[in-house]
Amino acid sequence: MSAATAAAADPVAAAPPRPGPVPFLRGARVVFDLSLEAMLWSRRSVFMGLLLVVPLLFAILYRVLLAAHAPVRITPALFFGGMFGSYYIWFALPLTALFYATALVADEVEAKTITYLLTRPVRRTSILLGKFAAYLGTTLALVLPSVVLTFFVLMTRQGRRGLALGAPDLVRDLAVAALALLAYGALFTFVGVLLRWPLITGLLFLYGWEWLSILPGWAPRLTIRAWLTSMHHHTVVGEGLSQGVVQTLPVVPGLITLGTSSLLFLALAAWIFSRRQYVLDQ
Amino acid sequence: MSALAAAAPAPITFERASRWYGPVIALNDVSTALLPGVTGLLGPNGAGKSTFLKLAAGQLAPSQGQVNVLGRPAWGHPELFRDVGLCPEADALWDHLTGEQFLMSLMRLAGYEEAECTRRTQAALEMVQLADARHRRCGGYSRGMRQRIKLAQALAHDPQVLLLDEPLTGMDPMSRRRVSDIIRRLAAEGRTILVSSHVLHEVESLTQRVLLIHNGRILAQGEVREIRDLLDEHPHTVTLRARDPRALARAVVDATHVVSIAFGPEPDTVTVQTARPDEFYGVLHEPALQAGVLEMYSPDEDLESVFRYLVQR
Repeated sequence: MSAATAAAADPVAAAPPRPGPVPFLRGARVVFDLSLEAMLWSRRSVFMGLLLVVPLLFAILYRVLLAAHAPVRITPALFFGGMFGSYYIWFALPLTALFYATALVADEVEAKTITYLLTRPVRRTSILLGKFAAYLGTTLALVLPSVVLTFFVLMTRQGRRGLALGAPDLVRDLAVAALALLAYGALFTFVGVLLRWPLITGLLFLYGWEWLSILPGWAPRLTIRAWLTSMHHHTVVGEGLSQGVVQTLPVVPGLITLGTSSLLFLALAAWIFSRRQYVLDQ
Repeated sequence: MSALAAAAPAPITFERASRWYGPVIALNDVSTALLPGVTGLLGPNGAGKSTFLKLAAGQLAPSQGQVNVLGRPAWGHPELFRDVGLCPEADALWDHLTGEQFLMSLMRLAGYEEAECTRRTQAALEMVQLADARHRRCGGYSRGMRQRIKLAQALAHDPQVLLLDEPLTGMDPMSRRRVSDIIRRLAAEGRTILVSSHVLHEVESLTQRVLLIHNGRILAQGEVREIRDLLDEHPHTVTLRARDPRALARAVVDATHVVSIAFGPEPDTVTVQTARPDEFYGVLHEPALQAGVLEMYSPDEDLESVFRYLVQR
Protein backbone atom coordinates (compact mmCIF):
# COMPACT_ATOMS: atom_id res chain seq x y z
CA MET A 1 0.00 0.00 0.00
CA SER A 2 1.37 3.42 -0.96
CA ALA A 3 1.75 6.16 1.62
CA ALA A 4 -1.01 8.16 -0.03
CA THR A 5 -3.41 5.23 0.06
CA ALA A 6 -2.52 4.53 3.66
CA ALA A 7 -3.11 8.16 4.57
CA ALA A 8 -6.45 8.20 2.81
CA ALA A 9 -7.54 5.08 4.67
CA ASP A 10 -6.46 6.43 8.01
CA PRO A 11 -8.19 9.67 9.02
CA VAL A 12 -5.65 10.27 11.76
CA ALA A 13 -2.67 10.00 9.45
CA ALA A 14 -4.44 12.15 6.88
CA ALA A 15 -4.98 14.96 9.37
CA PRO A 16 -2.62 17.91 8.88
CA PRO A 17 0.24 18.06 11.38
CA ARG A 18 -0.32 20.40 14.30
CA PRO A 19 2.33 22.32 16.21
CA GLY A 20 3.73 21.20 19.58
CA PRO A 21 2.89 22.58 23.00
CA VAL A 22 2.09 26.24 23.57
CA PRO A 23 5.36 28.24 23.91
CA PHE A 24 6.68 28.09 27.48
CA LEU A 25 6.39 31.76 28.45
CA ARG A 26 3.09 32.25 26.69
CA GLY A 27 1.56 29.34 28.61
CA ALA A 28 3.00 30.70 31.85
CA ARG A 29 1.54 34.13 31.11
CA VAL A 30 -1.97 32.75 30.61
CA VAL A 31 -1.74 30.74 33.85
CA PHE A 32 -0.42 33.87 35.58
CA ASP A 33 -3.43 35.91 34.43
CA LEU A 34 -5.83 33.16 35.39
CA SER A 35 -4.31 32.60 38.85
CA LEU A 36 -3.60 36.20 39.83
CA GLU A 37 -7.21 37.28 40.05
CA ALA A 38 -8.24 34.14 41.90
CA MET A 39 -5.43 34.62 44.43
CA LEU A 40 -5.88 38.35 44.93
CA TRP A 41 -9.59 38.12 45.66
CA SER A 42 -9.48 34.94 47.72
CA ARG A 43 -10.47 34.60 51.38
CA ARG A 44 -6.80 33.92 52.02
CA SER A 45 -6.00 37.48 50.92
CA VAL A 46 -8.51 38.89 53.39
CA PHE A 47 -6.81 37.00 56.22
CA MET A 48 -3.32 37.94 55.10
CA GLY A 49 -4.45 41.53 54.59
CA LEU A 50 -5.53 41.65 58.25
CA LEU A 51 -2.16 40.23 59.26
CA LEU A 52 -0.37 42.91 57.28
CA VAL A 53 -2.48 45.75 58.66
CA VAL A 54 -1.18 45.06 62.20
CA PRO A 55 2.15 46.98 61.79
CA LEU A 56 0.24 49.91 60.36
CA LEU A 57 -2.04 49.95 63.41
CA PHE A 58 1.02 49.90 65.69
CA ALA A 59 2.52 52.76 63.70
CA ILE A 60 -0.66 54.82 64.09
CA LEU A 61 -0.73 54.02 67.82
CA TYR A 62 2.89 55.16 68.07
CA ARG A 63 2.05 58.47 66.39
CA VAL A 64 -0.97 58.95 68.67
CA LEU A 65 1.23 58.40 71.74
CA LEU A 66 3.75 60.92 70.42
CA ALA A 67 0.99 63.42 69.75
CA ALA A 68 -0.29 62.91 73.29
CA HIS A 69 3.25 63.66 74.57
CA ALA A 70 3.53 60.22 76.12
CA PRO A 71 7.05 59.36 77.31
CA VAL A 72 8.13 57.34 74.22
CA ARG A 73 11.88 56.80 74.07
CA ILE A 74 12.13 54.90 70.79
CA THR A 75 12.67 56.93 67.59
CA PRO A 76 10.48 56.40 64.49
CA ALA A 77 13.40 54.89 62.56
CA LEU A 78 14.16 52.50 65.37
CA PHE A 79 10.51 51.57 65.67
CA PHE A 80 10.27 50.87 61.92
CA GLY A 81 13.50 48.87 61.93
CA GLY A 82 12.31 46.79 64.87
CA MET A 83 8.94 46.24 63.27
CA PHE A 84 10.44 45.09 59.98
CA GLY A 85 13.11 42.91 61.58
CA SER A 86 10.82 41.19 64.04
CA TYR A 87 7.26 41.26 62.72
CA TYR A 88 7.79 41.09 58.96
CA ILE A 89 10.90 38.88 58.68
CA TRP A 90 10.13 36.57 61.58
CA PHE A 91 6.38 36.32 61.20
CA ALA A 92 4.37 37.97 58.42
CA LEU A 93 6.54 37.25 55.37
CA PRO A 94 7.16 33.53 56.01
CA LEU A 95 3.52 33.01 56.96
CA THR A 96 2.30 34.81 53.84
CA ALA A 97 4.59 32.66 51.71
CA LEU A 98 3.48 29.51 53.50
CA PHE A 99 -0.24 30.09 53.04
CA TYR A 100 -0.04 31.06 49.36
CA ALA A 101 2.79 28.91 48.00
CA THR A 102 1.70 25.61 49.53
CA ALA A 103 -1.73 26.17 47.99
CA LEU A 104 -0.55 26.90 44.45
CA VAL A 105 -1.32 23.40 43.24
CA ALA A 106 -3.15 22.01 46.28
CA ASP A 107 -6.12 24.38 45.82
CA GLU A 108 -6.62 23.25 42.23
CA VAL A 109 -6.32 19.60 43.24
CA GLU A 110 -8.78 20.01 46.09
CA ALA A 111 -11.27 21.86 43.88
CA LYS A 112 -10.71 19.25 41.13
CA THR A 113 -10.06 22.06 38.63
CA ILE A 114 -6.47 20.92 38.03
CA THR A 115 -7.86 18.73 35.24
CA TYR A 116 -8.58 21.80 33.11
CA LEU A 117 -4.97 22.95 33.37
CA LEU A 118 -3.49 19.52 32.76
CA THR A 119 -5.59 18.82 29.66
CA ARG A 120 -4.26 21.75 27.62
CA PRO A 121 -1.26 21.72 25.27
CA VAL A 122 0.86 23.47 27.91
CA ARG A 123 3.94 22.05 29.61
CA ARG A 124 3.46 21.46 33.31
CA THR A 125 6.60 23.45 34.14
CA SER A 126 5.00 26.37 32.33
CA ILE A 127 1.87 26.01 34.47
CA LEU A 128 3.91 25.98 37.67
CA LEU A 129 5.97 28.99 36.63
CA GLY A 130 2.80 30.95 35.84
CA LYS A 131 1.33 30.05 39.21
CA PHE A 132 4.52 30.99 41.04
CA ALA A 133 4.63 34.33 39.24
CA ALA A 134 1.02 34.94 40.29
CA TYR A 135 1.98 34.06 43.87
CA LEU A 136 4.80 36.64 43.76
CA GLY A 137 2.51 39.24 42.24
CA THR A 138 -0.18 38.68 44.84
CA THR A 139 2.07 38.61 47.89
CA LEU A 140 4.10 41.62 46.74
CA ALA A 141 0.84 43.50 46.15
CA LEU A 142 -0.14 42.76 49.75
CA VAL A 143 3.20 43.13 51.53
CA LEU A 144 4.86 46.11 49.87
CA PRO A 145 2.02 48.61 50.50
CA SER A 146 1.92 47.45 54.13
CA VAL A 147 5.67 48.14 54.55
CA VAL A 148 5.55 51.47 52.71
CA LEU A 149 2.50 52.75 54.60
CA THR A 150 3.98 51.75 57.95
CA PHE A 151 7.20 53.53 57.02
CA PHE A 152 5.31 56.61 55.88
CA VAL A 153 3.18 56.85 59.02
CA LEU A 154 6.26 56.55 61.25
CA MET A 155 8.80 58.63 59.38
CA THR A 156 6.59 61.62 58.60
CA ARG A 157 6.94 62.40 62.31
CA GLN A 158 10.23 64.02 61.33
CA GLY A 159 8.79 65.64 58.23
CA ARG A 160 10.40 65.40 54.79
CA ARG A 161 13.81 65.11 56.34
CA GLY A 162 12.78 61.91 58.10
CA LEU A 163 11.43 60.44 54.89
CA ALA A 164 14.59 61.34 52.99
CA LEU A 165 16.85 59.92 55.67
CA GLY A 166 14.94 56.65 55.90
CA ALA A 167 14.40 56.17 52.15
CA PRO A 168 17.55 54.07 51.53
CA ASP A 169 16.58 51.75 54.39
CA LEU A 170 13.07 51.48 53.01
CA VAL A 171 14.34 50.51 49.57
CA ARG A 172 16.61 47.90 51.14
CA ASP A 173 13.77 46.54 53.26
CA LEU A 174 11.45 46.30 50.27
CA ALA A 175 14.13 44.33 48.44
CA VAL A 176 14.59 42.07 51.48
CA ALA A 177 10.81 41.53 51.64
CA ALA A 178 10.74 40.57 47.96
CA LEU A 179 13.68 38.22 48.46
CA ALA A 180 11.95 36.66 51.49
CA LEU A 181 8.80 36.01 49.46
CA LEU A 182 10.91 34.50 46.67
CA ALA A 183 13.00 32.25 48.94
CA TYR A 184 10.20 31.08 51.25
CA GLY A 185 7.81 30.87 48.28
CA ALA A 186 10.09 28.58 46.28
CA LEU A 187 10.60 26.33 49.30
CA PHE A 188 6.90 26.13 50.10
CA THR A 189 5.97 25.58 46.45
CA PHE A 190 8.26 22.55 46.53
CA VAL A 191 6.69 21.36 49.80
CA GLY A 192 3.23 21.98 48.32
CA VAL A 193 3.76 19.77 45.27
CA LEU A 194 5.63 17.11 47.23
CA LEU A 195 3.33 16.55 50.20
CA ARG A 196 -0.37 16.07 50.56
CA TRP A 197 -0.63 18.14 53.77
CA PRO A 198 2.09 20.73 53.26
CA LEU A 199 0.83 23.31 55.75
CA ILE A 200 1.82 21.32 58.82
CA THR A 201 5.28 20.63 57.42
CA GLY A 202 5.65 24.31 56.57
CA LEU A 203 4.67 25.40 60.07
CA LEU A 204 7.12 22.91 61.56
CA PHE A 205 9.83 24.36 59.35
CA LEU A 206 9.04 27.95 60.32
CA TYR A 207 8.64 27.38 64.04
CA GLY A 208 11.16 24.57 64.42
CA TRP A 209 13.96 24.57 61.90
CA GLU A 210 14.14 28.35 61.49
CA TRP A 211 15.07 28.73 65.17
CA LEU A 212 18.50 27.47 64.17
CA SER A 213 19.02 31.08 63.11
CA ILE A 214 19.67 32.13 66.71
CA LEU A 215 22.36 29.51 67.34
CA PRO A 216 26.05 30.36 67.20
CA GLY A 217 28.40 28.88 64.59
CA TRP A 218 27.37 27.56 61.16
CA ALA A 219 23.83 26.48 61.95
CA PRO A 220 22.20 29.85 61.07
CA ARG A 221 23.53 29.52 57.51
CA LEU A 222 21.09 26.63 57.07
CA THR A 223 18.10 28.90 57.63
CA ILE A 224 16.46 31.48 55.40
CA ARG A 225 15.72 33.75 58.34
CA ALA A 226 19.36 34.32 59.33
CA TRP A 227 20.34 35.46 55.84
CA LEU A 228 17.34 37.78 55.59
CA THR A 229 17.92 39.27 59.02
CA SER A 230 21.52 39.97 58.10
CA MET A 231 20.46 41.79 54.95
CA HIS A 232 18.00 43.91 56.87
CA HIS A 233 20.50 46.17 58.46
CA HIS A 234 19.45 49.41 60.04
CA THR A 235 22.33 51.31 61.54
CA VAL A 236 19.88 52.78 64.00
CA VAL A 237 18.51 49.40 65.01
CA GLY A 238 21.62 47.94 66.42
CA GLU A 239 19.80 46.95 69.56
CA GLY A 240 16.61 45.72 67.88
CA LEU A 241 15.20 42.28 68.73
CA SER A 242 16.30 40.44 65.61
CA GLN A 243 19.67 42.12 65.43
CA GLY A 244 20.35 41.24 69.02
CA VAL A 245 19.82 37.50 68.75
CA VAL A 246 20.91 36.64 65.20
CA GLN A 247 24.52 36.87 64.10
CA THR A 248 25.18 39.07 61.09
CA LEU A 249 26.11 37.09 57.98
CA PRO A 250 27.71 38.59 54.86
CA VAL A 251 25.26 39.98 52.29
CA VAL A 252 26.68 38.72 48.98
CA PRO A 253 26.88 35.03 50.02
CA GLY A 254 23.37 35.52 51.37
CA LEU A 255 22.10 36.71 48.01
CA ILE A 256 23.83 33.82 46.27
CA THR A 257 22.55 31.27 48.79
CA LEU A 258 18.94 32.45 48.72
CA GLY A 259 18.94 32.89 44.94
CA THR A 260 20.42 29.44 44.34
CA SER A 261 18.16 27.71 46.85
CA SER A 262 15.11 29.38 45.29
CA LEU A 263 16.07 28.16 41.83
CA LEU A 264 16.80 24.70 43.17
CA PHE A 265 13.49 24.38 45.01
CA LEU A 266 11.56 25.69 42.00
CA ALA A 267 13.34 23.24 39.70
CA LEU A 268 12.55 20.37 42.07
CA ALA A 269 8.93 21.50 42.34
CA ALA A 270 8.65 21.63 38.55
CA TRP A 271 10.20 18.16 38.24
CA ILE A 272 7.73 16.66 40.71
CA PHE A 273 4.76 18.54 39.24
CA SER A 274 5.61 17.25 35.77
CA ARG A 275 5.54 13.64 36.91
CA ARG A 276 2.82 13.52 39.49
CA GLN A 277 -0.54 11.91 38.70
CA TYR A 278 -2.86 14.35 40.42
CA VAL A 279 -6.07 12.47 39.73
CA LEU A 280 -4.90 10.03 42.41
CA ASP A 281 -5.19 12.82 45.00
CA GLN A 282 -8.73 13.80 43.98
CA MET B 1 2.14 -4.18 18.60
CA SER B 2 -0.85 -6.48 18.91
CA ALA B 3 -2.63 -7.86 15.86
CA LEU B 4 -5.70 -5.83 16.72
CA ALA B 5 -3.86 -2.52 16.71
CA ALA B 6 -1.90 -3.37 13.55
CA ALA B 7 -5.02 -4.30 11.59
CA ALA B 8 -6.88 -1.06 12.27
CA PRO B 9 -4.82 2.01 13.11
CA ALA B 10 -7.16 3.74 15.51
CA PRO B 11 -7.16 7.09 17.28
CA ILE B 12 -7.19 5.41 20.69
CA THR B 13 -5.39 2.15 21.42
CA PHE B 14 -4.83 0.21 24.63
CA GLU B 15 -2.19 -2.49 24.41
CA ARG B 16 -2.13 -4.85 27.35
CA ALA B 17 -2.66 -1.83 29.57
CA SER B 18 -2.99 -2.33 33.31
CA ARG B 19 -3.29 0.15 36.09
CA TRP B 20 -3.16 -0.61 39.76
CA TYR B 21 -3.37 1.52 42.88
CA GLY B 22 -1.26 -0.22 45.47
CA PRO B 23 -2.72 -3.70 45.78
CA VAL B 24 -5.95 -2.81 43.95
CA ILE B 25 -6.09 -3.56 40.21
CA ALA B 26 -8.33 -0.99 38.54
CA LEU B 27 -7.65 -2.06 34.97
CA ASN B 28 -6.29 -5.45 34.10
CA ASP B 29 -4.44 -6.25 30.87
CA VAL B 30 -6.77 -4.36 28.56
CA SER B 31 -6.24 -4.35 24.80
CA THR B 32 -8.61 -2.52 22.53
CA ALA B 33 -8.74 -0.04 19.66
CA LEU B 34 -11.36 2.68 19.41
CA LEU B 35 -12.34 3.91 15.95
CA PRO B 36 -13.95 7.20 14.89
CA GLY B 37 -17.58 7.57 15.93
CA VAL B 38 -19.12 7.24 19.37
CA THR B 39 -18.10 4.38 21.63
CA GLY B 40 -19.99 3.92 24.85
CA LEU B 41 -17.89 2.87 27.83
CA LEU B 42 -20.31 1.03 30.05
CA GLY B 43 -19.87 -0.40 33.48
CA PRO B 44 -21.16 -0.12 37.02
CA ASN B 45 -19.46 2.18 39.50
CA GLY B 46 -16.01 0.88 40.36
CA ALA B 47 -15.74 -1.18 37.18
CA GLY B 48 -12.71 0.72 35.91
CA LYS B 49 -14.40 3.20 33.55
CA SER B 50 -12.85 6.26 35.09
CA THR B 51 -9.40 4.68 35.11
CA PHE B 52 -9.84 3.74 31.45
CA LEU B 53 -10.85 7.29 30.58
CA LYS B 54 -8.10 8.90 32.65
CA LEU B 55 -5.50 6.70 31.00
CA ALA B 56 -6.81 7.77 27.57
CA ALA B 57 -6.80 11.40 28.72
CA GLY B 58 -3.19 11.22 29.86
CA GLN B 59 -4.13 11.92 33.46
CA LEU B 60 -2.74 8.60 34.61
CA ALA B 61 0.23 6.59 33.41
CA PRO B 62 -0.37 2.88 32.82
CA SER B 63 1.35 0.65 35.38
CA GLN B 64 1.99 -1.77 32.53
CA GLY B 65 1.37 -1.81 28.79
CA GLN B 66 0.69 1.13 26.50
CA VAL B 67 -2.07 3.64 25.94
CA ASN B 68 -1.74 5.63 22.73
CA VAL B 69 -3.86 8.49 21.46
CA LEU B 70 -3.42 9.66 17.87
CA GLY B 71 -0.31 7.53 17.62
CA ARG B 72 1.49 8.91 20.69
CA PRO B 73 1.57 7.79 24.33
CA ALA B 74 -1.23 9.58 26.15
CA TRP B 75 0.84 10.18 29.29
CA GLY B 76 3.45 12.93 29.18
CA HIS B 77 2.55 14.49 25.83
CA PRO B 78 0.73 17.78 26.47
CA GLU B 79 0.78 18.67 22.76
CA LEU B 80 -1.83 15.91 22.29
CA PHE B 81 -4.38 18.19 23.93
CA ARG B 82 -4.53 20.29 20.79
CA ASP B 83 -6.49 17.34 19.40
CA VAL B 84 -8.04 15.87 22.52
CA GLY B 85 -10.88 17.25 24.61
CA LEU B 86 -11.87 15.94 28.03
CA CYS B 87 -15.15 16.56 29.80
CA PRO B 88 -14.42 15.42 33.37
CA GLU B 89 -16.98 13.81 35.62
CA ALA B 90 -16.31 16.05 38.63
CA ASP B 91 -18.72 18.95 39.03
CA ALA B 92 -15.83 21.41 39.28
CA LEU B 93 -15.38 24.77 37.57
CA TRP B 94 -13.58 28.01 38.38
CA ASP B 95 -16.71 29.35 40.01
CA HIS B 96 -15.48 32.94 40.26
CA LEU B 97 -15.28 33.22 36.47
CA THR B 98 -18.20 33.83 34.12
CA GLY B 99 -18.93 31.16 31.54
CA GLU B 100 -17.32 33.33 28.89
CA GLN B 101 -14.19 34.01 30.98
CA PHE B 102 -13.89 30.31 31.75
CA LEU B 103 -13.87 29.34 28.09
CA MET B 104 -11.69 32.29 27.04
CA SER B 105 -9.04 31.31 29.60
CA LEU B 106 -8.98 27.74 28.38
CA MET B 107 -8.81 28.81 24.74
CA ARG B 108 -5.82 31.02 25.58
CA LEU B 109 -4.24 27.99 27.23
CA ALA B 110 -4.89 26.08 24.02
CA GLY B 111 -2.59 28.57 22.31
CA TYR B 112 -5.02 30.59 20.19
CA GLU B 113 -4.71 34.29 19.44
CA GLU B 114 -7.19 36.59 21.19
CA ALA B 115 -9.56 37.00 18.23
CA GLU B 116 -9.64 33.25 17.66
CA CYS B 117 -10.26 32.66 21.38
CA THR B 118 -13.25 34.98 21.22
CA ARG B 119 -14.60 33.33 18.08
CA ARG B 120 -14.26 29.81 19.47
CA THR B 121 -15.68 30.81 22.85
CA GLN B 122 -18.79 32.35 21.30
CA ALA B 123 -19.26 29.38 18.97
CA ALA B 124 -18.94 26.89 21.84
CA LEU B 125 -21.32 28.87 24.06
CA GLU B 126 -23.87 28.92 21.27
CA MET B 127 -23.38 25.24 20.56
CA VAL B 128 -24.26 24.31 24.15
CA GLN B 129 -26.91 27.07 24.28
CA LEU B 130 -25.31 29.08 27.03
CA ALA B 131 -24.81 32.28 25.04
CA ASP B 132 -27.45 34.09 27.11
CA ALA B 133 -25.71 33.06 30.34
CA ARG B 134 -22.19 33.94 29.18
CA HIS B 135 -21.85 36.82 31.66
CA ARG B 136 -23.08 34.84 34.68
CA ARG B 137 -20.55 33.35 37.05
CA CYS B 138 -20.12 29.59 36.77
CA GLY B 139 -20.81 29.38 40.51
CA GLY B 140 -24.39 30.46 39.80
CA TYR B 141 -25.03 27.92 37.03
CA SER B 142 -27.50 25.07 37.47
CA ARG B 143 -26.25 21.49 37.34
CA GLY B 144 -27.29 21.14 33.71
CA MET B 145 -25.58 24.40 32.74
CA ARG B 146 -22.41 23.30 34.50
CA GLN B 147 -22.43 20.07 32.54
CA ARG B 148 -22.89 22.01 29.33
CA ILE B 149 -20.07 24.48 30.02
CA LYS B 150 -17.81 21.50 30.81
CA LEU B 151 -18.76 20.03 27.45
CA ALA B 152 -18.13 23.39 25.76
CA GLN B 153 -14.56 23.57 27.08
CA ALA B 154 -13.94 20.03 25.80
CA LEU B 155 -15.01 20.78 22.26
CA ALA B 156 -14.25 24.49 21.76
CA HIS B 157 -10.80 23.76 20.34
CA ASP B 158 -12.28 21.42 17.75
CA PRO B 159 -10.53 18.21 18.90
CA GLN B 160 -10.39 14.99 16.90
CA VAL B 161 -10.79 12.94 20.06
CA LEU B 162 -13.41 13.67 22.71
CA LEU B 163 -13.44 11.90 26.06
CA LEU B 164 -16.67 12.45 27.95
CA ASP B 165 -17.02 11.16 31.51
CA GLU B 166 -20.70 10.78 32.40
CA PRO B 167 -21.64 13.85 30.30
CA LEU B 168 -25.41 13.54 30.76
CA THR B 169 -25.43 13.09 34.53
CA GLY B 170 -27.74 15.45 36.34
CA MET B 171 -29.12 17.13 33.23
CA ASP B 172 -32.78 17.94 32.74
CA PRO B 173 -34.47 16.24 29.74
CA MET B 174 -34.08 19.29 27.48
CA SER B 175 -30.35 19.64 28.16
CA ARG B 176 -29.94 15.90 27.78
CA ARG B 177 -31.49 16.01 24.35
CA ARG B 178 -29.38 18.99 23.29
CA VAL B 179 -26.13 17.44 24.43
CA SER B 180 -26.98 14.09 22.85
CA ASP B 181 -27.63 15.89 19.55
CA ILE B 182 -24.26 17.65 19.79
CA ILE B 183 -22.41 14.41 20.47
CA ARG B 184 -24.08 12.63 17.58
CA ARG B 185 -23.32 15.53 15.24
CA LEU B 186 -19.66 15.62 16.25
CA ALA B 187 -19.42 11.88 15.68
CA ALA B 188 -20.97 12.27 12.24
CA GLU B 189 -18.16 14.69 11.42
CA GLY B 190 -15.66 11.85 11.92
CA ARG B 191 -14.44 12.50 15.45
CA THR B 192 -13.61 9.74 17.88
CA ILE B 193 -15.81 10.09 20.95
CA LEU B 194 -15.64 7.95 24.06
CA VAL B 195 -18.61 8.38 26.38
CA SER B 196 -18.52 6.73 29.77
CA SER B 197 -21.74 6.00 31.59
CA HIS B 198 -23.28 3.60 34.04
CA VAL B 199 -26.68 3.99 32.37
CA LEU B 200 -27.19 1.74 29.39
CA HIS B 201 -30.06 3.78 28.01
CA GLU B 202 -27.95 6.94 27.94
CA VAL B 203 -25.31 5.27 25.86
CA GLU B 204 -27.87 3.55 23.69
CA SER B 205 -29.32 6.91 22.75
CA LEU B 206 -25.90 7.96 21.42
CA THR B 207 -24.42 4.86 19.81
CA GLN B 208 -24.80 1.18 19.11
CA ARG B 209 -21.10 0.55 19.76
CA VAL B 210 -20.24 -0.21 23.36
CA LEU B 211 -17.35 -1.39 25.45
CA LEU B 212 -18.51 -3.26 28.54
CA ILE B 213 -16.10 -3.08 31.40
CA HIS B 214 -16.35 -4.94 34.68
CA ASN B 215 -13.85 -5.55 37.47
CA GLY B 216 -11.13 -3.87 35.43
CA ARG B 217 -11.53 -6.12 32.40
CA ILE B 218 -13.30 -5.71 29.09
CA LEU B 219 -16.25 -8.02 29.27
CA ALA B 220 -17.58 -7.41 25.77
CA GLN B 221 -17.12 -5.04 22.89
CA GLY B 222 -19.66 -4.63 20.15
CA GLU B 223 -23.28 -3.83 19.44
CA VAL B 224 -25.51 -2.70 22.24
CA ARG B 225 -28.42 -4.74 20.78
CA GLU B 226 -26.84 -7.90 22.08
CA ILE B 227 -27.45 -6.88 25.66
CA ARG B 228 -30.51 -4.78 24.99
CA ASP B 229 -33.02 -7.60 25.53
CA LEU B 230 -31.63 -8.30 28.95
CA LEU B 231 -33.06 -5.00 30.08
CA ASP B 232 -36.59 -6.27 29.70
CA GLU B 233 -35.94 -8.54 32.64
CA HIS B 234 -34.46 -5.69 34.62
CA PRO B 235 -36.70 -2.59 34.68
CA HIS B 236 -34.87 0.68 34.19
CA THR B 237 -35.01 3.05 37.17
CA VAL B 238 -35.10 6.83 36.77
CA THR B 239 -35.19 9.36 39.59
CA LEU B 240 -36.50 12.81 38.67
CA ARG B 241 -36.30 15.94 40.77
CA ALA B 242 -39.12 18.33 39.91
CA ARG B 243 -40.79 21.47 41.19
CA ASP B 244 -44.13 19.58 41.15
CA PRO B 245 -43.35 15.87 41.58
CA ARG B 246 -47.05 14.94 42.03
CA ALA B 247 -48.00 16.47 38.68
CA LEU B 248 -45.17 14.57 37.08
CA ALA B 249 -46.30 11.29 38.65
CA ARG B 250 -49.87 11.87 37.47
CA ALA B 251 -48.68 12.52 33.93
CA VAL B 252 -46.70 9.30 33.55
CA VAL B 253 -48.61 6.86 35.76
CA ASP B 254 -50.92 5.63 32.99
CA ALA B 255 -48.16 4.75 30.56
CA THR B 256 -48.21 0.99 29.98
CA HIS B 257 -44.44 0.62 30.23
CA VAL B 258 -44.25 2.18 33.71
CA VAL B 259 -43.81 -0.63 36.22
CA SER B 260 -43.86 1.42 39.40
CA ILE B 261 -43.78 4.97 40.72
CA ALA B 262 -42.62 6.03 44.17
CA PHE B 263 -42.06 9.41 45.77
CA GLY B 264 -38.59 9.87 47.16
CA PRO B 265 -35.83 9.46 48.17
CA GLU B 266 -35.99 13.30 48.53
CA PRO B 267 -39.24 15.25 49.10
CA ASP B 268 -39.11 16.71 45.57
CA THR B 269 -38.19 13.52 43.74
CA VAL B 270 -40.11 10.75 42.00
CA THR B 271 -38.56 7.37 41.25
CA VAL B 272 -40.01 5.58 38.23
CA GLN B 273 -39.35 2.03 37.06
CA THR B 274 -39.99 1.39 33.38
CA ALA B 275 -39.68 -1.65 31.19
CA ARG B 276 -39.23 0.47 28.06
CA PRO B 277 -36.79 3.33 28.66
CA ASP B 278 -37.04 4.50 25.03
CA GLU B 279 -40.77 4.97 25.23
CA PHE B 280 -40.57 6.47 28.70
CA TYR B 281 -38.07 9.15 27.65
CA GLY B 282 -40.17 9.72 24.53
CA VAL B 283 -43.33 10.57 26.47
CA LEU B 284 -41.48 12.38 29.25
CA HIS B 285 -40.74 15.56 27.34
CA GLU B 286 -44.11 17.36 27.75
CA PRO B 287 -44.84 16.33 31.39
CA ALA B 288 -41.27 17.23 32.28
CA LEU B 289 -41.76 20.76 31.03
CA GLN B 290 -45.07 21.14 32.88
CA ALA B 291 -43.82 19.70 36.16
CA GLY B 292 -40.55 21.63 36.03
CA VAL B 293 -38.10 18.74 36.04
CA LEU B 294 -34.77 20.03 37.33
CA GLU B 295 -32.65 16.93 37.28
CA MET B 296 -32.85 13.26 36.39
CA TYR B 297 -30.49 10.41 37.03
CA SER B 298 -30.43 6.63 37.03
CA PRO B 299 -28.87 4.51 39.70
CA ASP B 300 -26.61 1.81 38.39
CA GLU B 301 -28.50 -1.14 39.81
CA ASP B 302 -30.02 -1.87 36.40
CA LEU B 303 -26.67 -2.19 34.75
CA GLU B 304 -25.25 -4.01 37.73
CA SER B 305 -27.86 -6.74 37.32
CA VAL B 306 -27.15 -7.02 33.61
CA PHE B 307 -23.46 -7.33 34.34
CA ARG B 308 -24.09 -9.96 36.99
CA TYR B 309 -26.04 -11.89 34.38
CA LEU B 310 -23.25 -11.55 31.80
CA VAL B 311 -20.57 -12.59 34.25
CA GLN B 312 -22.49 -15.64 35.38
CA ARG B 313 -23.42 -16.69 31.85
